[in-house]
This record gives sequence, structure tokens and C-alpha cells, in this order.
Amino acid sequence: MSQSSATNSEDDSKTANNESVAVDSVIDFKGKHFGLESTSQDSDDYLVSGSEGTMIDVERFCHADYRIEQYAHSVLDFSSQYGIDLSISYTAPNITGRPSKYPEYGDFPQTFAMRTYGAWWDRAPSRLKEIQPQNVSEIPAEDFIAKTWICLWEDKEFYTKPIYSPSRARRFTPPLKRIQLPTKTIRLEFNHQRLHYYTEIDAVLLSGKKFNTRNMQHLLDYYERQRKGSILCKLQNMKFRPICRDNYQNRLQHFLMHDLDKFISVLSDVQIQSMQRQQQQQLQSSNTDEMKISKIGLKNMPFEIMLKIFSYLDLKSLFRVGAVSRFLYDVSTHPLLYSELNLKPYWHLASTELLSTLAKRATILKKLDMSWCGCTVQTISPTEFKKFIQQRGDSLTHLRLNSTKFLNASCIDTLGIVCDNLKELSLRNCSPSPPLLNFSCLANLKNLERLDLFQTVIESDLLLTMLENNPKLKHLNLAFCSVAVNMDDVAQHIAKYNKQLISLDMWKAHFLSAQGLLVLSNCHNLEEIDFGWCLREASLGDSLREFLTQCTKLKKLFLAAVRGLTDRDLEYIANLCPNLEQLDLMGVLGISKERYIDILQKCAKLQLLDLCFCDNIMDYDVALWSRTFKVDIKSCQVPNDFR
Amino acid sequence: MYGLTKGTAEEEEEEEKNDLMYHEIRVADGVGGWRSYGIDPGEFSSFLMKTCERLVHCVNFNPQRPVNLLAYSYCELLEQKKPILGSSTACVLVLNRENSTVYTANIGDSGFMVVRRGEIVHKSEEQQHYFNTPFQLSLPPPGHDHNVLSDSPDSADTLSFPVKDGDVILVATDGVFDNVPEKLLLDMLKEVEGVTDPVKLQMTANSLALMARSLSFDSDFMSPFAINARRNNINATGGKPDDITVVLATVAI
Repeated sequence: MSQSSATNSEDDSKTANNESVAVDSVIDFKGKHFGLESTSQDSDDYLVSGSEGTMIDVERFCHADYRIEQYAHSVLDFSSQYGIDLSISYTAPNITGRPSKYPEYGDFPQTFAMRTYGAWWDRAPSRLKEIQPQNVSEIPAEDFIAKTWICLWEDKEFYTKPIYSPSRARRFTPPLKRIQLPTKTIRLEFNHQRLHYYTEIDAVLLSGKKFNTRNMQHLLDYYERQRKGSILCKLQNMKFRPICRDNYQNRLQHFLMHDLDKFISVLSDVQIQSMQRQQQQQLQSSNTDEMKISKIGLKNMPFEIMLKIFSYLDLKSLFRVGAVSRFLYDVSTHPLLYSELNLKPYWHLASTELLSTLAKRATILKKLDMSWCGCTVQTISPTEFKKFIQQRGDSLTHLRLNSTKFLNASCIDTLGIVCDNLKELSLRNCSPSPPLLNFSCLANLKNLERLDLFQTVIESDLLLTMLENNPKLKHLNLAFCSVAVNMDDVAQHIAKYNKQLISLDMWKAHFLSAQGLLVLSNCHNLEEIDFGWCLREASLGDSLREFLTQCTKLKKLFLAAVRGLTDRDLEYIANLCPNLEQLDLMGVLGISKERYIDILQKCAKLQLLDLCFCDNIMDYDVALWSRTFKVDIKSCQVPNDFR
Repeated sequence: MYGLTKGTAEEEEEEEKNDLMYHEIRVADGVGGWRSYGIDPGEFSSFLMKTCERLVHCVNFNPQRPVNLLAYSYCELLEQKKPILGSSTACVLVLNRENSTVYTANIGDSGFMVVRRGEIVHKSEEQQHYFNTPFQLSLPPPGHDHNVLSDSPDSADTLSFPVKDGDVILVATDGVFDNVPEKLLLDMLKEVEGVTDPVKLQMTANSLALMARSLSFDSDFMSPFAINARRNNINATGGKPDDITVVLATVAI
């Protein structure tokens, strides 16, 4: 069942075991204040007392004077949505403003829904393996606020708490970390791995205290200082700062003579204490036994063993351990440890400096994932990235740049020219607006096995050229391909040049005809195909039968909203697809109940069957079938909502 | 701008204020013939109107091109999980306060009329393929594409004209224009020129609707519909029973 809720946090899967599909949205809160006028201000206090305005307080106790609430104003970016870009159905902009449907429960196009749910995409033939999996922390969903990204909330109990399957709209209010930083941008990361079906989000409400902008600079400085190292921090918080006014020379003398000791002692205070403790312990132990303390430590280990040990460390720990000693530094900077780099979990820390440091170390870089880096805050410069690719890109085989915002035309050009060994290129959600990118150099890539252009606008000619040039292509994702790309042409090219194709995603791409479907039957290796909302033809004729006859290895067949399907087509599916594991028939009307039973009986390996918005079936049918055939069947009835 | 409405089963009308920069009025008339296919004719027009309302609040709403509203609304139909089938005429008016101009988009035989100082200054044209077959936006069930009329939103008539304070704007479905002769309409609209009292306007709208209704059931009356029919060599008399929707507004700048 799909749900509509005020906020939710469950859509992106990151685990050490599974592959992941990450989706999130960055939401900007601007300006929608609710009736609060700031009148008197206290200079040290961040509270503002207002005179008018009634507040609806989220936590139900009265903070009427200085608490404000804001609904999201605009969406800055998102990695995944169910609907097509300019639509207002199931798309990201629906999350702004007040909730339109909450607290009603149901499947409403006025909400925001993400493209995927549950673990089904991880079980499909097109699943991805995470690059440098040790970087991925156990925390699968987090909320951040912007500028210096601070984590407000993490779902630590994701894997331990029971799966919550309500049949009603919910309001999710996580306890946020209290921060003193003013914010108007928030990033929500959803992990949908445990979701039963599409979950829809109606609105996001941010509530907090109004902030006095006079204190803004002071606060930002404070946070900047926090980010710097601890010594600098200590220095700035020092009580022994010399007051350098008129007599500064005398003062300095005075400081050096008297206060310097204290200054140093504070710094080394902790160290002395711990040393003392250690000495005490050693005294104790040497007083008791004659213990033979082994003199062999980490630094006596062979280099290769150290490398092996370090290969399990995540990037952050690797940098930290390199700061310990010269030997450990040499081990931790060895290029073999940097052949795979995943900066996605560090999206909020990724910066130009990091990139240049990594460039020095990663001399044999094979796999790079920089998804989500550089979002909104311009921390990565395109020039630096371009340099990085020029230096290290020629050995790259896997490159993921999903939802990155720093790519420009020359970056893409460089990619095309330098990275000719690329086997996997993922450029999901890479359409800036206005679309300035010129992808034509990508036509130089000839070894691609995986190409992911989900939600990315690409020119038709370039796409066709790329298809021609990459005969080894196995996985192709063209979901949300722009209107300009004719899917029939694409199908023709695939049929001619990409016969090794295993998975093809055409979700909401612009219209494949029955003829296009027919030519795709040339790709006998197809195991996964998604024609959702794409096959608009009123009648498919024999094309589906032909297709299914030739593509016997099909495991995943998604036909959402393919309204031209008839009973006969479903008969073909039942008879010609013995290996079918996932089948989506959402929104296909006019099919008789016997066809569904037929499929359930004949497709023995079926795990997922989506029958939402289908007719001729009742809830008890679905429950019975689900139990009998051990298949996860989705079905939902929508309330008629247009009156 | 005050707008008043009276809706019936297959029609939808809405009046929209948006940040007080512009106002919008729209009507849609669902084609009743779909009942025989088991399709509720009102669903399509309802959806069209509700979507127009949502689109008006969107960032890229261009008040000078109400035809875009129709086009985008129509596209949204294709994005619904549960297919919404049927067809409908539509008429959208947007008043831009900044330049006191009204922009219109009309597809089909619903229409509008603007009255100033006792005269009709602007009127929409009925768009028909042939007699009693208006232009219509439609989404037929799969397989019926060929025998269903489906006009593109681009074929809408677009007009824009300036308005003055006190102008009366009437937006109505064909149930009104087919049954009430123009002179009668004019007489009624003349009386509310410059009126800003919502109660009076509502009363006038009510009486207009009521009048259209009673005339539609009068079998001897030579309604505009009957006159038109005769021009097309069809022997018809009396009114044409139909769904009636009236939206009445006066301009108060």
C-alpha cells in the first residue's frame, strides 16, 4: 500500500551486504514565515519576541513568541522521483508548501514519490555493486542542514527496529539535534530498503526559532572555528591570550615569562595525565612480575600485510591512521589502497583540496564514485575535477557521477577523451538547467558495458552514436529520457548494435511503439526490461509475443501503465516466461482474473507482482494468491478524489 | 474580482485568486456520451479543472498564456496511474491586474461574454467540427482512438483584451448560450455592471442559471439552439436540456 505522510525517512539503501540505490532530496526553506514579526532583540540571545501572530506549535506547548514554522519553499535538487520532470504528479515539487492530502491515506498524485521502493531493484539483474563498500557507514538515513553540513538526525535503529507497515497517513518527527546555526536548506536522505511499496510524502515542516541576523556572522565564525583542528581551536579559546594594547612589548615579555608555561601545560595537560597513568601502570606491573613485553609492534609487520589490513579501512580512517607515524603514513598512502574511491558517503566533506590530495595518491585509480558531491555548496571546482581526470582518468573502468553539480562541458569533454577504458559510466540526474552540457565527446567511449542516464537529458544523435560504438553494452538505463529522443530509433539501434544487452530501463521515456518492441526481440540476452509508461500504443498486436518468444531469459518485466495489454498478452507472459521473477502490471485495465491466476501458476519463480490500479480483483483474491503462490502482490484501490 | 458559480453533475467551474496579481476563472463541460461506455463523464472535466487550479500555483505559470494551462492539464492526464477517460470542452480566463487585461483560451462550445455599458464588447466563438459536435479535449480508452474526436490543446482559441472597471464577465457552458437568447443575457448582465456585492452577483448568477434551465425544457420556445439547428437543416424547436454552469464576475480595479 502506498502511504501519504507528512515526513518520512526511508528511501535509499546502503548496507555492507547489499548494493545501494540512493535517493534523497534537498529542500530549500525560504521566506514562508508564519505571522511572526521580530520587534525587540536581545544582542546575546538568539530569541526574538514577536508581538503578533498565532503559532501552531508542533510540540503542542506554547512557544508562541519566538518559534516559527516553515514549509518547504522549493526543491533545490533530488535524485529520484516517480513522475516526469514537468509534471505535477508524483514529482519532487509536490513536497513544497502545505500538505495537500494529509491526513488522508491513499495514492495521490499531489504528493512526492520516489522511483523505487524496497529491495526489489537490488535483486534485479541490473543491480550495482558498491565501490569501496567499507566507506559506507551503518547509518542508512540522515538529515542534514546546509552550508557546513551538520547531521541533524540519523536513523541508528534502522536495521533493528521492526518494519512498520501502517495503513494510515503518518507524521514523522525525528528528534533533531539542537544547533545554533541558522539554516534554510535541509537535505533529506531516504532509505527505502524496508518499504513495502511506494511511499508518498506530502510536505516537510521545519520548526525552529527565529534567528537574529546580527549575530549571524558571529555564529558562522564560531562554526568555522569548530571545523578547524583542535589546537587552533584551543588557541582561540585560550584564556591566556595576551592583551596586546599599548604596552604590548612588556605584555609579551610578561606572557613569555609567566603565562607561557601555563599555556603549554594546558595543551599538554591531557597528555601528561595519561602519561602519568601509564607510568603508574608500568610501575605496578614491573613491581609485580617480570613480564616479557613483546617488542614487536605494527611497524615490524611486512608491508604487504599492513596493506591488506588497511584495505579494510574506510577512507576517513585511512587518513587518520596516516597521521600516526611515518611508517603508517607510507602504508596508508600506497596507491594500491586507492584503486577504488567512493566519495559518496563523504559528500558533505568532499572538496577541491580532498580531490587534489587523492589525485596524488590514486595513481592506479580504477573505480571512482563521486555521486552527490558538490551539491548546492560549490566546494568542488570543475577545473580541479578536470585536472583530476586528466591525471588519473586513463585507468578508470568504473565512474559514477550521479547528481553531481560541478560537471560542465569541459569536464565531460575530458571524460570522453581521457577515460577510454571506461566500462561503467553512470551519469544519473546530471541535467543542469539550463542544459548547457555538451556530451558529444562521450561518443569516444567504446568499451562501455553499463550506461546509466536516468533522469539525464541527452541529445538523440549522441545517444544513438554511443549505442553504435559500444557493442559490449550490457546495462542501459534511459529512464525519463527527454521528449526529443525517439525510443523507436533507440530500439532499432539497440537491436542492431547492442545484442548483448541484459537490462534495459525505459521508464517514462517518450514513447515506444509496438514496432519498437518488436525489434527489441533481437536481444536474446535480455533479462530485465522496464517499459513503464513508455509503451503507449493502443494495441500491441503480436509484438509482445514475438518479444517474449525470443527473450526467454527474462527475469524482470515491468509494464506499468501499458494500457494496451490484453488478456492474450498476459497469456503469452504466462506461457513464455518461465524465469520471470518480477512483474509489474500497474494500471493495466480490462484483464480477467483467470489471467492473473494463470501467470501465478505458470511462473514458478515469481517473487513480485504489482497489480495496483488493476480491475477485476478483490482484496481477498490478492491475499489468497499471495499466500498460495508465495508471491508479494501489490494492490491498492484509490479513493475517487476528483470531486 | 468576485466570481459566483453554480455547478452541476458534469461540469466544473472554479474561480482562482493567486497572490492577487491575477485572477482566473474556468469552466469545463464533460461530454455526456461516455456514459454508454461505462465512463463517468464528469471525471475528465473535474480532473482538468482541479489540475488547472494546481498549475496556477506553480512557479512556471504564465498568466498571459492560459492555453498552457489547458495543455499541461491535458498532459497530466497521461501521468495518472488510474486512467481518466472521457472528453470535455474548456474555457479559461485570466485577468492580469497589472495591465487590466484578460487572456482567454477556449476550446469547444463553452464560452464567455463581456458586457460594458449595456453592450457586448467581447464574446467567444463556438468551436465546432460540425453541428452539435464541439472541439474537445479527450482521452479515449485504448482501442477507441479512431472513432473518438480528440482535439489538441493547441487548437484552442486564444484572445486577449483590456477590461475596464465595472465590466461584467460571464463564463458559461453551452447549456446557457444554447437556451438563453443573447438579448436576454444582455439585459440581465447590464444590471450588474459595476456591482461588487457578492450576494447580488450570486442572485443574478442563480437567476441566469434558472432561466436557462426553464427555457431548456420549454418545447415551443425558439432557442438559439433551435435557430442554429434550422440553419443546419435540422428541424428542431424548443430548448436543449443540458447541464448548466454559470460563472459571473465583475471587474473592480
